[in-house]
Amino acid sequence: MWRFLRRLLTSEYLVLLLTALYVLCLWPFAPEIVSAQTALEVIMAMLPLLLLAIGQTFVLIVAGIDLSITSTMAFSSVVAAALMTGDGGYLAGNALAVPVALIAFLLIGLAVGCANGLCVVRLGMPSFMVTLVAQTFLSGAAIWFTSLHSTSVSIGDLPAAFSVIGRGGIAGIPYALLLCLVVAFAAHWLLGRTTLGRWLYAVGNNPRAATVSGVPTGRVIIIAFVLSGFCAALASIVYTSRLETGTPVLGQRVLLDVIGAAVIGGVSLFGGRGKISWVILGVLFLSVVDKGLQLLGLSQSIVFAVKGGVILLAAIIDALRSRILVRVAA
Amino acid sequence: MNVTRRAFNLGAILAAGTVILPGAVRAADEKTIAIMFDSLQSPFWVTGFDVLKEKAKAAGYQPLESISNLDDNKQFEQVQSMIQKKVSGIIIVQTDSKAVIPAIREANKAGIPMVHFNRPPAESDAKSSAVQADNRAIMKSTVQALVDKARKAGGKYKAAILIGDLGDQNAIQRRDGFFDVVDQNKDIIEVVARISTEWNPDKAFADLTNALQANPDINFLVTSSDFLLPQIQQALKIAGKWKKTGEEGHVLFAGFDGDEGQYAALKDGYMDVGGVQNLFYEADLAIGAIEKMNKGEEVPKLLLDPGFVITQETLDQDRDKMWGYAVWKKANG
Repeated sequence: MWRFLRRLLTSEYLVLLLTALYVLCLWPFAPEIVSAQTALEVIMAMLPLLLLAIGQTFVLIVAGIDLSITSTMAFSSVVAAALMTGDGGYLAGNALAVPVALIAFLLIGLAVGCANGLCVVRLGMPSFMVTLVAQTFLSGAAIWFTSLHSTSVSIGDLPAAFSVIGRGGIAGIPYALLLCLVVAFAAHWLLGRTTLGRWLYAVGNNPRAATVSGVPTGRVIIIAFVLSGFCAALASIVYTSRLETGTPVLGQRVLLDVIGAAVIGGVSLFGGRGKISWVILGVLFLSVVDKGLQLLGLSQSIVFAVKGGVILLAAIIDALRSRILVRVAA
Repeated sequence: MNVTRRAFNLGAILAAGTVILPGAVRAADEKTIAIMFDSLQSPFWVTGFDVLKEKAKAAGYQPLESISNLDDNKQFEQVQSMIQKKVSGIIIVQTDSKAVIPAIREANKAGIPMVHFNRPPAESDAKSSAVQADNRAIMKSTVQALVDKARKAGGKYKAAILIGDLGDQNAIQRRDGFFDVVDQNKDIIEVVARISTEWNPDKAFADLTNALQANPDINFLVTSSDFLLPQIQQALKIAGKWKKTGEEGHVLFAGFDGDEGQYAALKDGYMDVGGVQNLFYEADLAIGAIEKMNKGEEVPKLLLDPGFVITQETLDQDRDKMWGYAVWKKANG
């Protein structure tokens, strides 16, 4: 029995099993949880979260943390929206509005990531501090920028050609899903099959040893932050197009979900450990937990208690798994 | 292995909790209404949430709750879940009037009526109805009642108004309601201070204090929201003007909203007139609108709550219609 439990706990697919267990537990009370519609909505809900978590994983692997992703999303959302909105946008009605706005999203993400990375590497500041400051600054900048372009708290009236990214698809496959699949495969390949991937793990495991071994540690850390900013920009495109609105509070509350999903998936907060497939399972788990609670329609206090309990349970099981893996290795 | 077992026991308890807690969930065939708020950040919204749930139950619906925690995307997903639950209707308080439009479209597609509670959506092709207090009319009646008191007492008045955030339609309408009346009564009222609070209590306190220093003869004060009452009280105290009706130096004072602070200030004699949003009536309007839409009847895009004015004289008779009295009673027994 213990042997079976140990094998179960050390399985890479433990989080998937927990997800299935959660669905089974909820099934009698919310039968809708087992349906094609729910599956589709869970997938759609997890896409932007997954993009953010993939970006965060690069930073976590090098033993850093990026707290600025939500504000990067918000700032890029309002800047791009101001470019393309039909309500007095800089490029309103112009055929180039959407492509230019998409470039703006990506440039902002890359620039913020690059600035974060440079501050961490060149100034030797802790990533927690750097990205916290970036988060605060960008949040304020997003609100200020919105106030310059709208009399309300957000920027709407975005072109249909943009909104289709978050809501449309090709041959029944949502564009957002295709985008996410491409990013996930690319990230998986980068981490598992390239020199840069090996450098990322090496820097996270022991930066000094990595430097001695000839790894350009500083450059690797900067790249990790740039990738995180890039993924935040992609997530912002999905969120903004889905809501058809550029808002300065976009995704303000998802930061803990992103870090939580990565950690539940098995990415170490101390660096050097993490896989994209684990992150996908972590995000799936959190998205399914959320969906189940939404379908139950319970009061807020019960929702928080259940969500907290489920995440704590997953964290305990993950801690047990780590302990067993250490023993096995010893 | 002991530690592992203990941890496992804890995990098992949590897992059991996860399974047992949903036991509170209702049978699937009940008629349900989704009550979806973005937050419960003030007594107004907490009371509104409770009143809607009670009214829904009274109308034979089981309320399904959700709070989006000011997250537009989360609220969109919650709307999708409620649509999947095939609720009879959705009463929603959204954070953003534009970002809610995709959610309205989803509800339209599913044929589920949606009513916005106190926050209308932005203009769009999506179909829904909104319940809102008639801010301008309520403010007009409130200020008129205060002017009537001023005329009865005689004399000339120097007025100050605390205005809300001018990016908020409610604030604009309340400001306009104030000027609709004072502009007709310029013979006795001169507006000497227009205080733009931006719904920021600290700014309200600082600017009202400055206004009272610059114009120590201010004796007619109107606030666009009762949530600024603690700051107003403090500023008036500093200026030596926090006096009850009939006392020397009393400032004729009107509030707006009808919260527990307004009730207490009227009861204690510091406030003369209050404009009240009739939350109970608004809840009836919202549930009634859903029932009508489900019967295929046309419902206007905006349903207005005319509210009412309450004074020290009518307080005992009208307080049961005042949502703030319900809050005050709960807190004070």
